[in-house]
Amino acid sequence: MRARLYSVAASTSLRERTMYLGNFTASMLTYGLFVFIFSRVWAGAYAGRSEIAGYTQSMAVWYFIVAEITSFGFGRYFWGLSRDVKSGQVAYQLGRPYDFVAYNYAERVGGSLADAAVILAEGLAVGFLLVGTPPSAGGGLGAEILRGGLLAVSLLLAGSLNFLLHFSISLTAFWLEENDAFYWVYQKLVLVVGTLVPIEFLPDTVAAAALWTPFPYLSWAPARVFVAFSPADALSLIARQLAWVAFAVLLARAVFSLSSRRVALNGG
Amino acid sequence: MRKWRLAAYGRFMAAAFAANVKSVIEYRVNFLVQTFGMMLNNAAFAAFWAVLIGRTGAVGGYGFQDVMFVWGLVSTAFGLAHILAGNVRQLGRIIMEGSLDVYLLQPKDALLNVLLSKTDVGAWGDLLYGFVVLGLLPGLSLERLALFCALAVPAAVIFASAFAMAESLAFFMGNSQGIAGALSEFLLSFSLYPEGVFGKGLRWVLYSLVPSGFVAFVPLRVFRSMDWPLVPALWGVAIVYAVLARAFFGLGLKRYESGNRMDTRV
Amino acid sequence: MAAIVAENLSKRFILRVRPQGRFAALRALVRPERRIVDAVKGVNFSVDEGEVVAFLGPNGAGKSTTIKMLTGILTPSGGGARVLGLDPARERKRLAWSIGSVFGQKSQLWFHLPPADSFRLLGAVYEVEPKLLRERTGALVERFGLAELMDVPVRKLSLGQRIRCEIAASLIHAPRVLFLDEPTIGLDVVARKEIRRLIEELNKRDGVTVFLTSHDMGDIEKVCKRAVIIHHGEVVVDESMKTLKHRALSRKHVGVRYARPTSMDLPGLSPLKRTEQSARYEVDTNRHALRDVVRALAERGELVDITVEDEPLENVIEQIYAARSGAEAAAVTRGGSA
Repeated sequence: MRARLYSVAASTSLRERTMYLGNFTASMLTYGLFVFIFSRVWAGAYAGRSEIAGYTQSMAVWYFIVAEITSFGFGRYFWGLSRDVKSGQVAYQLGRPYDFVAYNYAERVGGSLADAAVILAEGLAVGFLLVGTPPSAGGGLGAEILRGGLLAVSLLLAGSLNFLLHFSISLTAFWLEENDAFYWVYQKLVLVVGTLVPIEFLPDTVAAAALWTPFPYLSWAPARVFVAFSPADALSLIARQLAWVAFAVLLARAVFSLSSRRVALNGG
Repeated sequence: MRKWRLAAYGRFMAAAFAANVKSVIEYRVNFLVQTFGMMLNNAAFAAFWAVLIGRTGAVGGYGFQDVMFVWGLVSTAFGLAHILAGNVRQLGRIIMEGSLDVYLLQPKDALLNVLLSKTDVGAWGDLLYGFVVLGLLPGLSLERLALFCALAVPAAVIFASAFAMAESLAFFMGNSQGIAGALSEFLLSFSLYPEGVFGKGLRWVLYSLVPSGFVAFVPLRVFRSMDWPLVPALWGVAIVYAVLARAFFGLGLKRYESGNRMDTRV
Repeated sequence: MAAIVAENLSKRFILRVRPQGRFAALRALVRPERRIVDAVKGVNFSVDEGEVVAFLGPNGAGKSTTIKMLTGILTPSGGGARVLGLDPARERKRLAWSIGSVFGQKSQLWFHLPPADSFRLLGAVYEVEPKLLRERTGALVERFGLAELMDVPVRKLSLGQRIRCEIAASLIHAPRVLFLDEPTIGLDVVARKEIRRLIEELNKRDGVTVFLTSHDMGDIEKVCKRAVIIHHGEVVVDESMKTLKHRALSRKHVGVRYARPTSMDLPGLSPLKRTEQSARYEVDTNRHALRDVVRALAERGELVDITVEDEPLENVIEQIYAARSGAEAAAVTRGGSA
């Protein structure tokens, strides 16, 4: 068990990230602008109606605020990983006495906890200013606390899933120098399937099919936990997220062992 | 002796352009990936609008075709601005690092010289995207094509002028990258969403500091009603923005400090 | 006729200082701290057409700032300049037609392209007729020995090759005045010699006025007829290279080495450096005849070697600084050249 190593890696990168607040301004600005524009788009879309596919205007805005946290808070792993693969940094790390996937997870996701926390705080503040209080958790203070806890769990799982998928995509750089295109496709699917609009807005057949892909579990799941909270639904969503994370771990390990064999053969 | 100023600038631009195309030819894979990414991004948002408008009908006064037209026009104008004035997004860095020297030593208008000296080959994808959209929209005609071009040119000039002004802030502040980036992002983002969803107060800003009104909102109105008489007005607005950008840059130039950093033209 | 005139030319920079301590960012917003730096403090000099003048001074003396004001890059904050009768700050574009410039640290060549492409582009910038451009390029290629370099991307050229291309490129519009800012910085001895030869030839054959800044005394001794020395933003010396050299020539460095340990005390002379068997003296020939010193040293013991050299120009300049602006200046120069 190397738990200590991984927790040190995570906390070091977290501290480095928070040393300079200027690190966050660019993504905070884009996120804030995006939330503002979408709150206006929803105001336009809801003109003359009170709900769309089961969402009120307030729910739709809060949905967007939470759904975007994964992209903005747990978002840029691909670029860092790809760069490290191409520069040979990864090949060098292979010789170190730790689990490569776990170490990278600890370091990179650990560091982005700060981004996610900052974006979440900004989202709550901006949302409050734009559309007032979020939909209630439906059961007093206890339910609010439970929702907060489950939201945190769900966001963390979404971030972990995002990392693992980025990891698998970025390691294709061992085979293909220009692997950005894969990432673009992935990123746009994340955007369309559950981030820009709730899954329920999509045509029924598309929505049903989408639930069998990992994309809704990056955005839709935590957003649902927040805007349409019930303990049973939340636990069911989290269970499905866990299943996808487990699958993504296996995928990441498989891609990694294939690529490290490639390094062994080609010498990086 | 130097009567044919325009011809000389034309020859200069052609030479700069040829040099640029050569220097990026080795990045053609990069160009393809970039264009692919752009198409994908635009497709993702097209899907979003199709879903939303499919549910609710027009949003903020924009139907699906209106949204597509605006994305097409903004993309073409943005692309054109970066093809002609490829250095516009680097202007702040060029000022900050003192790389403006090389342009100042040459007998050309400094702002035009620095802007025109580079082209962004990736922007050809953006330029073409608008025409693809126009081709897909119903009712394609020669007149609509002509109007589209007549609207894209002033929009491109306004884009370039606004970016140049934001980047020229580098003359006045230590590091203006953040604020220039934000202004550019605002301009692009606000242009791509329906005018009707923004409140009255914000609209003032969108017709001045962040001129989304002139690159997207008004052109859409003109295009919808084939309102040719308004086109010269947009060209006039574009000229005003260009003159302002030129003046603002000139004001900054007096304060130029020319840092001493090793650099090369890339 | 004067090609370059500087009258009370000054430049003041106002630097924003990032305050330290608590609420620093906030305080900077409310009341930004500024520091005033007078980079050039009212310098006066003039350069005649056809002259080759060296503009010298330690780092931060104001050399680059001055040359940038003369070429129109920087706007002076006081005084003024005339280059070929034009005011660089106001008539930058008009002036640009007739001056050329090479800033050793700023390239006008395109990094990823061969020089041939940059020459074509510069031809368009300076509106040189295509036929004339071909002729001039051909002549420059021959003269600067660029035939093999013209089709190699600039990034693959050595620094010396690149600077040769830079200078050739700056001549594409046949300028009457050439400004060279540190043209030999970072070059090896052979490349330096080559550049010096080219500059000399340019002046002799085409009568181009050359205004050159450099750290390298070799550049200046060999190429320039006159030197202007600037220090702390002020001109401290403006005289012919001959006078400057004459001052330098009155001082010699004499080095001796003996076969075995020898007493080497000479009345009125203290060695700069000494070991048991060797020593190095600075001799002011106005006070001690060189012949006497050499003879005295030869009489002390069995000589293995004796050398007599001119004093390095750096030292001369250093002494001038010391004389003009006191001990502080000398300390700065020594610190800078160390």
